[in-house]
Amino acid sequence: MVRIYFAGIDLGSTMTKVVILDEDEQVCAYVVNHTGAEHRRLANKVMEEALIQAGLCIEDMSFIMATGYGRINVPFADKQITELTCHARGIASFFPNVKLAIDIGGQDVKGLKIRNGKLLDFVMSDKCAAGTGRFLEVTAETLGLKLEDLGRISLGSTQKISVSSTCTVFAQQEVVNHLSNDVPLEDVVAGLHDAIASRVARMVRRLKVEPDVVFTGGVAKNIGVVKALAESLGCPILVPEEPLLSGAIGAAIIGKELTFKALANGETIQTGERRLEEATFFK
Amino acid sequence: MTQETKPRALNRLKSMYALRAEVDRMYEGGVEASEEGKPVAWVMLEGWSNAILNAMGVKTVFPENYSSLCAAQGMAEPFMERSEAEGWPSHLCGYARASVGYSARMVDVGGKIPPEAPGGGMPKPTLLVASGETCDARFKWFQSLGRFFDAPVWTLESPSPGIRERLSSETYERNVQFLIKELKAFVAFLENLLGKKMDWDMLEFTGGGTNEINRLRWEINELRKSRPGPMHTRDFWSVMTAALFRGAADPEVIIEGHQKMYDEVTERVEKGIAGINRPEKYRMSFEGLPPWHTLGFLDQLAERGWNFVIESAYRPMRPRTVDLSMYDDPMERYVRRRYRSLEESLQEDYEPDEVEAIKNEIIRDGTSSRLGLKHISDYQVDGVVLHVLLTCRATSAGLNLLQRKILDVLKVPSLVIEGDIIDASAFNAAEALRKAEAFEETMDHYRKVRKELGMPW
Amino acid sequence: MTSEVSKGLTRSIELYQDRSSRVKELRAEGKKVMGYLCIYPVLEMMTALDIVPYRIFGDLHEPVTEADSYMPAVNCPFLRSCLDIGLKGKYDFLDGIVTSHICDVGSTLSSIWIYALKPPFSHHIDMPHTLHETALAQEKGLLEDYKKALEGLSGKEMTSEALEAAIRVHNEQRALVRELYELKKLNPPLISGAETIQVIKAIESIPVDEGNQLLREVISEVKERSNGPQKKSSRLLVWGSIIDDTAMMEMIEGLDANVVMDDTCVGSRPYFDDVEITDDPLDGLAYHYLVDIKCSRTFRVNNYMDVHKDYMKDLEIRFSYLKDYADEWKADGVIMESVRYCDTHGYDVPGIRDYLDSIGLPSVYLEHDYTEGALAPLRTRVQGFLEIIG
Repeated sequence: MVRIYFAGIDLGSTMTKVVILDEDEQVCAYVVNHTGAEHRRLANKVMEEALIQAGLCIEDMSFIMATGYGRINVPFADKQITELTCHARGIASFFPNVKLAIDIGGQDVKGLKIRNGKLLDFVMSDKCAAGTGRFLEVTAETLGLKLEDLGRISLGSTQKISVSSTCTVFAQQEVVNHLSNDVPLEDVVAGLHDAIASRVARMVRRLKVEPDVVFTGGVAKNIGVVKALAESLGCPILVPEEPLLSGAIGAAIIGKELTFKALANGETIQTGERRLEEATFFK
Repeated sequence: MTQETKPRALNRLKSMYALRAEVDRMYEGGVEASEEGKPVAWVMLEGWSNAILNAMGVKTVFPENYSSLCAAQGMAEPFMERSEAEGWPSHLCGYARASVGYSARMVDVGGKIPPEAPGGGMPKPTLLVASGETCDARFKWFQSLGRFFDAPVWTLESPSPGIRERLSSETYERNVQFLIKELKAFVAFLENLLGKKMDWDMLEFTGGGTNEINRLRWEINELRKSRPGPMHTRDFWSVMTAALFRGAADPEVIIEGHQKMYDEVTERVEKGIAGINRPEKYRMSFEGLPPWHTLGFLDQLAERGWNFVIESAYRPMRPRTVDLSMYDDPMERYVRRRYRSLEESLQEDYEPDEVEAIKNEIIRDGTSSRLGLKHISDYQVDGVVLHVLLTCRATSAGLNLLQRKILDVLKVPSLVIEGDIIDASAFNAAEALRKAEAFEETMDHYRKVRKELGMPW
Repeated sequence: MTSEVSKGLTRSIELYQDRSSRVKELRAEGKKVMGYLCIYPVLEMMTALDIVPYRIFGDLHEPVTEADSYMPAVNCPFLRSCLDIGLKGKYDFLDGIVTSHICDVGSTLSSIWIYALKPPFSHHIDMPHTLHETALAQEKGLLEDYKKALEGLSGKEMTSEALEAAIRVHNEQRALVRELYELKKLNPPLISGAETIQVIKAIESIPVDEGNQLLREVISEVKERSNGPQKKSSRLLVWGSIIDDTAMMEMIEGLDANVVMDDTCVGSRPYFDDVEITDDPLDGLAYHYLVDIKCSRTFRVNNYMDVHKDYMKDLEIRFSYLKDYADEWKADGVIMESVRYCDTHGYDVPGIRDYLDSIGLPSVYLEHDYTEGALAPLRTRVQGFLEIIG
């Protein structure tokens, strides 16, 4: 029997994620790699890597769906859908009872109101870096720490500081002030996590906070922010095993659904040119 | 951010504390009135409705002031957060957003005062009176609270003509008539709402109390011209609440408190005592609304010898005696006692030849570079702090122009500090302090420039 | 005269791109050209004295560099942009400027403009903010002042006959704009949202009679053409502050949606009600500009003397015209747009959302800082919204 496959590619501002699913929505391959800072993004390389991992070629893909900030110009994708819809779909595939999803990526924060797996409403942060992964990156640089260590360090805090400023630049100045006043590192880091959590909580409250609340995106890997967010929202938080993949998985699932719908209606599936070339963020 | 406040830098007036205590009593009074089933109005700082409402037996509370009270106690944040959750855009006025959150919390707890409300809280309004005076977005604010209350909103129209238009006596007279008619419509509305008639004699009384408080505040401010400045801006802000947001307070008590303050400031002037406990190195003016969340910042500046001797907001009007005997209509008397023409203000504030020069400038250019600067020269200010507010257009939009005028005409430099009235996260005290340090050299420089030009300070 | 060369949509695009080309010719012929800010400085009164009204716009593509030293960044980015390009000399050819109390920032801008640019003529109309009876009388009084000021400038008397004639020709313009909007009721609409902005901006850059001629050309051209907008999945109504550039509409229409109707001030807002010709023409004009035009700057309420309050009824009085628009133009979603720091529009957002929710019309709120860079993140919001309603 011929298996059919679906790819989802989530071209975020900092990371590119590719997932290949089979028709039972089982993950055949996934790759997460840096999107790269250049004007032209090497999304094609990430795609190729995933195909190699799955032992498949691009023609085996029944549908390739692009999503994420850079979705517009992916030359090998068949269609593009926003990360809002894809995240909602992907998250609902692991947590069917999700009502509120929060995704904190490299440069923005999204809140998704979901009912029965469907996106109903959303909020998105503006272009300010406050409360995003970038904020934590800058913080890690300021403190001379590795990004991935921040979460663990913050757990040792006994008396976290309060960071009044939500501006990334101002907040870093506050951090320096605290450190020069001999405030323990873990208290400073925990305070910054709190600042992110309360900013994000403030933003998503318009969607009403009801369990299940699911947290995804790169920042969801930071246990300190997870903890702070649960406190700020006053409810438990679920994090998928691989929090970076929900957008790509959702994209692949939506691709599958479109394909099956077309098949059921006896229509041919509209695919694109499938040029495995670099993606451009700007025309 | 935790502030290292050094309270000794400021030399606070003893008479201030009694007046500030009246503010708490005001809020208590509002709550009591509400509990007794008396009407309570949410009102704004403007020149017209408060005395009318009080004369009709309506207690007034001021969400603007209440929001600053929340901010001063570090409790505005959750209310603002709630306002965002309710869908109000986050760039809107901090006062308004805190009140939106407060109102939403009131609905949560069945129309009662939310338990976390600082200062005893504001009771549920019987009506809301909005005004566009000094900030025209305010009339939309109260309307938008409609989601939470069944109370009607009255929007009080008041004229705010352009500068050239204000010179015209026809425009002035038309605006007087406009105000009389508008306020009469407001009274008719209140009579209908409350089922009682306006007590015009009482209006003479409540309006009169306002005039006396204003007169005392004016006299106190006149004393502040003295060197060293005997009263710091923080004291002015602390008592301004009792004087202006006077809703439920007894005017006699407020008058007495100001009389005592006048005596205390007089004594300081006689003895050469300053409003700060450090040598007065720089005489400062604060332009814009206060950073209610971090007032201690001014103490840090006082530590450096910055004495804020005057400020732009909440200033009293020059007292005036107007012959109103020819007007039988009490509303006309009420309006004419308060509303003055630009011509009159100029005559009061400037020498006759200067008045003519300013008027000619206004007629020719549509504005005068000298307007709005008088307090800078009267108080011999060395430097001006311009508080540009993230959420307040009304007080921020003109600050850069003011900065130019003050420098061009008076050779006094300004320091721009960005922040907010309510939202502490918009303010970076450490950064502001660094800028302030560097600004001292600028002030020193312009002191020399003024001297070379033969200016009096 | 170059304007004879091109017609209709081509002419609109030319004027959209080079707005002052025609009025500069007219100035060379000796006509007076008056700049005005926002839609309230009663254009009929200029036309009556043969003064050409020329609307002041910002420039979304021009970074603000000069305005910073006059107006802090926390103010309306549209008005700051207007001031900025004014300071850069792009409005120097004007014979003056008329402003009104649209909002406090607009009033402040007016005094800054006068102070910094010293225009040869200026006038400020201190418009009231409510629909109170007193406010209407006040507005009329202000228009009397305005009349005197314009008469002083032109050296001519503004007769009732001339003013009536001007009202008629402006009403004709309003009727033509409405006729153009009728063509947007079709599916697909015969003219896109972006093209509509080009046309409106064009007619606000030339004398009213020339604008009417242009509108007639556009209408007949659009009716006949085969290269109009493509049919899309969603039909949108855009409510908002000011969209004076095609970029945002192009962004929306580049997605799976047609913008079929708007309630914005470079769109239907100034054109959807006629001015009634009253015995004293100023009465009709005062009523139109204060009552008919529905910008958030004006405080509207069901019945201001009513001591009872009904939130939903209040919302209905204020916003039911949006339902009418959605019904007639068959819109299935609403975009609420506002430039950041626009307080008057900002306060209306929760109420409009409540109203649209109550009638089951989905909406999304877009706030932006009037720069090109603001559009990319908005695209995801709009596309996400379309995916929800599609």
